[in-house]
Amino acid sequence: METDTLDTVAGTTLVNPPLRLDWPKLARRARLRRAAGQSALLAFLLAVSVPIILPYFWMVVISFTARSGGVSTQVLWTACAIVVPAVMIYSMVHLMTSSRGLRVAAGVVLLAIAAGLLAAHVGHRLHFANYRFLWDPNIVEEIRSKATAGGQFPSVWVAFRNSLALAMSETVIILAVASLAGYYISRFAFRGREAFLQGMLVLHAFPAMTLIIPLFLILHWVGLLDTIAGVILVLATIELPFYVFVMKGFFDAVPWDIEMSAMTDGATRRQAFRMVVLPQVRVGLIAVAVFAFIRAWEEYIFVRTMLIENTNWVMSLYLFWVSDDIMGVDYGIVAAVSVFYVLPSLLLYVFCQRYLTQMTIGGIRG
Amino acid sequence: MMARIELRDIRKSWVAATAVERIDLAIDDGAFIAVLGPSGCGKTTTLLMLAGIYSPTSGEIAFDGARVNDVEARDRNVGIVFQSYALYPNMSVLDNIMFPLRFKKIERSEAEARAREIAALVRIDRLLDRRPSQLSGGQQQRVALARALVKRPHLLLLDEPLSNLDASLRLTMRTEIRRIQRDLGVTTILVTHDQIEATTMADRIVVMNAGRVEQEGTAKDLYERPQTLFVASFVGSPPINLLEGRAGDGAIKVREATLKLAGSAAGDVVLGIRPESLHANASGMPSRIVAAEPMGREVLYSAEGALGLVRFIEAGAEARHREGETVSLAFSAESALLFDKASGRRLDARIAS
Repeated sequence: METDTLDTVAGTTLVNPPLRLDWPKLARRARLRRAAGQSALLAFLLAVSVPIILPYFWMVVISFTARSGGVSTQVLWTACAIVVPAVMIYSMVHLMTSSRGLRVAAGVVLLAIAAGLLAAHVGHRLHFANYRFLWDPNIVEEIRSKATAGGQFPSVWVAFRNSLALAMSETVIILAVASLAGYYISRFAFRGREAFLQGMLVLHAFPAMTLIIPLFLILHWVGLLDTIAGVILVLATIELPFYVFVMKGFFDAVPWDIEMSAMTDGATRRQAFRMVVLPQVRVGLIAVAVFAFIRAWEEYIFVRTMLIENTNWVMSLYLFWVSDDIMGVDYGIVAAVSVFYVLPSLLLYVFCQRYLTQMTIGGIRG
Repeated sequence: MMARIELRDIRKSWVAATAVERIDLAIDDGAFIAVLGPSGCGKTTTLLMLAGIYSPTSGEIAFDGARVNDVEARDRNVGIVFQSYALYPNMSVLDNIMFPLRFKKIERSEAEARAREIAALVRIDRLLDRRPSQLSGGQQQRVALARALVKRPHLLLLDEPLSNLDASLRLTMRTEIRRIQRDLGVTTILVTHDQIEATTMADRIVVMNAGRVEQEGTAKDLYERPQTLFVASFVGSPPINLLEGRAGDGAIKVREATLKLAGSAAGDVVLGIRPESLHANASGMPSRIVAAEPMGREVLYSAEGALGLVRFIEAGAEARHREGETVSLAFSAESALLFDKASGRRLDARIAS
């Protein structure tokens, strides 16, 4: 049985040439290189974040400063001239020290200076008139004189409530269906499972826009056109395949052993799912919920097509009609409505971002 | 609470493959048996069929004589410790141990008392408030054991319970599991690929290969009288020397050596000699040492000679022979084993001394 032989290989030797190295110099060079690399990285990140952050910053600034009739960029530049150096100085401090106390101190000092300068230079131009839409629905009539009949424009709170209803129903439907379907696909072998998975991917690759006319007709025929419920169903249908896939990935990562263990411990399959498996995909559920909510909150094309009556407007439609209905466009109000619109999803992101970073397309946790 | 377990003609096949070909096994009440085999031999599948997670394709599983094939996993009252421990990460240690009692009609206070009692038995009573992620591997193992035992199972199943532990902890847990099993007298089946685990912990060992039982017996039976070539090669470390030869005319020929037979054999055979049965001896066959590997208490040599390449061990921490040296090798005839090459079965014929 044993046929291998244990012949020794003819030995070769590698002799290291004697090296004399200047260790302190090498260490100095490495430190310098690391500092240079970090500074370059920071500069790059600052540069690429400007085009992303500037519009938001501008939006906020305009919403608090613009007066009807025109928008001046002077406030924006003044504010930038104060904020940008402050951010850069803080970054330098952050790079140069690793002490937490120093960093916090620098942050507080710079924040105070920036706030003081802002108050001195642009403080007198701040006002809240652009936010009057929050309590006064007649913004349009005021601007366009009384030419249009009153009550054309709904209160922003109607749109807010509609958006909330849309996003929350969407979240609930997607959470329920995606978690159950994802679990089933992850755990059970059934005829056509592969085809089903591929079909879902193809569905998601399909541009949803191409369905807009058939969907419009279907909603019309079943009598759900111009209802929030109709839009909820359409959005959920289009979004579901993706979330089912994401949840399947999370369930795949839960070991079988734990479920088998629960079942030998006396749990039914359903109890095992509820008591042992679901708690382990909590991160996935949160991520899916946040994305589903935000996705529905920002939806524009489908609501634009399928909601007509102004009592059915959602926030995106409200924003559209505000910018459309006001002659000459009052940027102040548009910006204020935008800030109001973006706030809920921003808050949601801020509170849940540590869960969101754990979700990737495949749902495999890093 | 314990039970006599029987497996009658069990077979389990999936769409693509057969995991368990045929298993017949009876385990006495309170016994500790080990199922030993290489990975993929069907031992874990067998375990999961006993637990009720899988149901056998054909055959019968009986607890105390009653057929349980159709009894669901949750009603079988079987405790199982998985290789991964499979603790519930979202629950504290105490909740983990109490989990099986949540499905029984037991007062919470009594359940907690039982959980604390079993925790003391496996010596984790100070860790009850922790989460599984805050425990070391050995502690997780003990929690898993406590959870499996708290329901007072008819049968305790251990699936490679020690393979994720480091060497010294493995030694401790081996003794511990044995102690706990004796204290409780619970019928236990240990599944492992590690022969040391099997021989040190279990009363009897079942060797499985390719979905079948190869041999069942005590460690001594398996070592001294392996029924098949597979058992001979799987049990024993360092592994047995297996040398192919041809039998005929009352002798076998292995390479250049001819050995007289007691008993009759013909055709292709395999001669098995344990490394400790070979000795460097003045009257033996000349062999050249090609490797000497000190292993602590003994030295493992590889030598090339008339029989071909063989391994043998000699007691002592230091090598007494050097590589390249020629020694005379002899082996004790009564410990040599003969197998039929085609069927793999052991032959009754022996080497004449």
